[in-house]
Amino acid sequence: MALKMETRNQMPKRIVEDKVLRFSAGERLSHWVHAISFFVLLFTGLGVLSTSFQPAMAIFGGIQVAQLIHRIAAIFFVVVVGLMFFVGNPRYHWRWLKFVFSFKKSDWQHVCAFPKEFFGGHGNYPEQEKYNGGEKINSLITIFGTIFITLSGVVMWFASSFPPALVRWAYPVHDLSMFIMTAAAIGHIYLGLLHPDSRAAMSGMINGYVSTKFARAHHREWYERLKKEQSMNEQKNV
Amino acid sequence: MARKTVLIDTSLCTGCKACSVACKEWNELSAEKTQLLTSYQTQNAFTTKTWTYMTFVEKYEDQKMNWFMRKAQCFHCADPACMKACSSNAITKTESGYVVIDQEKCIGCGYCVENCPFGVPKVDQVKKKSYKCTGCIDRVENNLLPACVNTCQPGALSFGERDAMLTQAKKRLAEVQKTHPKAQLYGEKEMGGTTYLYLLLDSPEVYDLPVNPTVPLSLTLWKDVIRPVGTVAVGGAAAAVVLGVFANLFRGNYSNSDNKEGGKD
Repeated sequence: MALKMETRNQMPKRIVEDKVLRFSAGERLSHWVHAISFFVLLFTGLGVLSTSFQPAMAIFGGIQVAQLIHRIAAIFFVVVVGLMFFVGNPRYHWRWLKFVFSFKKSDWQHVCAFPKEFFGGHGNYPEQEKYNGGEKINSLITIFGTIFITLSGVVMWFASSFPPALVRWAYPVHDLSMFIMTAAAIGHIYLGLLHPDSRAAMSGMINGYVSTKFARAHHREWYERLKKEQSMNEQKNV
Repeated sequence: MARKTVLIDTSLCTGCKACSVACKEWNELSAEKTQLLTSYQTQNAFTTKTWTYMTFVEKYEDQKMNWFMRKAQCFHCADPACMKACSSNAITKTESGYVVIDQEKCIGCGYCVENCPFGVPKVDQVKKKSYKCTGCIDRVENNLLPACVNTCQPGALSFGERDAMLTQAKKRLAEVQKTHPKAQLYGEKEMGGTTYLYLLLDSPEVYDLPVNPTVPLSLTLWKDVIRPVGTVAVGGAAAAVVLGVFANLFRGNYSNSDNKEGGKD
C-alpha cells in the first residue's frame, strides 16, 4: 500500500533554488489544527485546574460554556489530526512516525548538546536527519501525550459508563499529560519564534519551505540525502 | 463547636424509613418514583433528591434468616475524599465534623462523585450542582437535632458530642455482641473517623460497605504529587525560556546576521 502511495503521489521537487520543502500541506494542516485546539483545550480546562482561573472563564461565557468548548475542541484535536493519517496525502504523516520512532546515537548526542544550544551557546553534535534528537523528543511527547490525554478524556467525558476506579485514575493521567505537553509546548514555541538560531525553521510550518542555508546548518544529513535523491531522479528523467 | 457524632445503632432499627421522609421534609426534597428492589428496599443509590435511604439485607445462616437494616447517608468523614477532589473549593469541613457542599461554588464537575468511597454525592445534570446529605447542619448549629435523629421512633439514632457518643457506642456494642458476636463499630477510625458512626450487627461487607474505605491512591497522587510537580515543570519551562531569551540577547545572537537565515555552515 505504501508503495502505491509513493507512486500515485508523485514526490514534488524538494529542493527549489535556495529553498527546501520540509513540510507538506497536510503536515502543516495537522500541526496547526493540533496546536490551536491544544491551546483552546488548555485555556478552557484551566477552570477545573484551579479556582484562581475560574473568573477568567467569563471570557468564554462562563465555566459551563468553557466545558462545552473543551469537548468540541477535543474532537478537532483528535479526529482531524487522526484523519490526516488516512486521507489526502498521508505518506508524510507515517514517515514522521517512522523518523521519530528511530532514535539513534546521533539523536542522543544532539539531546546532550541541546541545553547549551537552548541558551544560545554552541554545542557539538553530529549532522542530523530531517528531525534532530530534540525534535524527536518533542514529537514523542506530542504523540504519547495526545494518546494518554485522549483516552483519559474519553473516560472523564463518559464517566458514568466506566467503573469509578478507572475514572479516578483518568484524572491524574489527564493532568500529567497536560503538564508535560504544556511544558514541551512552551519550549517548542520559544525555539520556533524566539530562539535566534532555530527560529529560521518557522517558515517550514508556514509555507512548507526552509532555506537551504538552514537545512545545511541544522539538518545536513537530510539535505544531502535530498540532494542525492533529486539528482538521481533528474538523471532518470533525462 | 466541638466535634459532633450521630450514632446509628442498627440493632435498634426497625426499618420504618421515617428518617428518609423526615430528611425530605426538612430539606424540601421532592419524592421520587421508586419500585421494590427486594422485599422491602426501594432504593439502592443516592440521588440528588434522596440523601438518606434504607438498605435491607437478608442473610441466611443455619437455616435462619438474619435481617440487616441500615440507614445510608453521607458519613461526613474526618478525611473527606470529596473535599480533596473538589475542583472549586466548594466542599468544606466544619469544626463540628460536617462535610458540606456550597452549591454557589459548585460547578458540577463530578470529581466528588467519582472519588467518594461510599458513592454519596450526586450531580444534578441540569443544574450542574452536586448534592448530598448536609447532616442538617442548619438545624445542628441552631441546637436542634438532625431531622432523621429527631424523628427516629425506636431510638436507633442518637446525637451528641463525639466522645460521649463513642462511649455510648462501645457500651452498647458490648451489650449487642452477646447476641450478635460479629457486631462491630464502623466509622470510629474509617476515613479518619466519620461523624455518622455505625453499630453494625455483622461485618461491613454484609451491608455492602467497603471494609477499608480510603482516600483513593489516584486522588492523593493527583493532588499531592502531579499537581505541584507539574506546576513546577511548566513554571520551569517558562523560566528557562525567559532565561534563554536573555542569554541570547547577552551573547548578541539576535544581531548576528548569520542567524537570520538559519545559521552558518
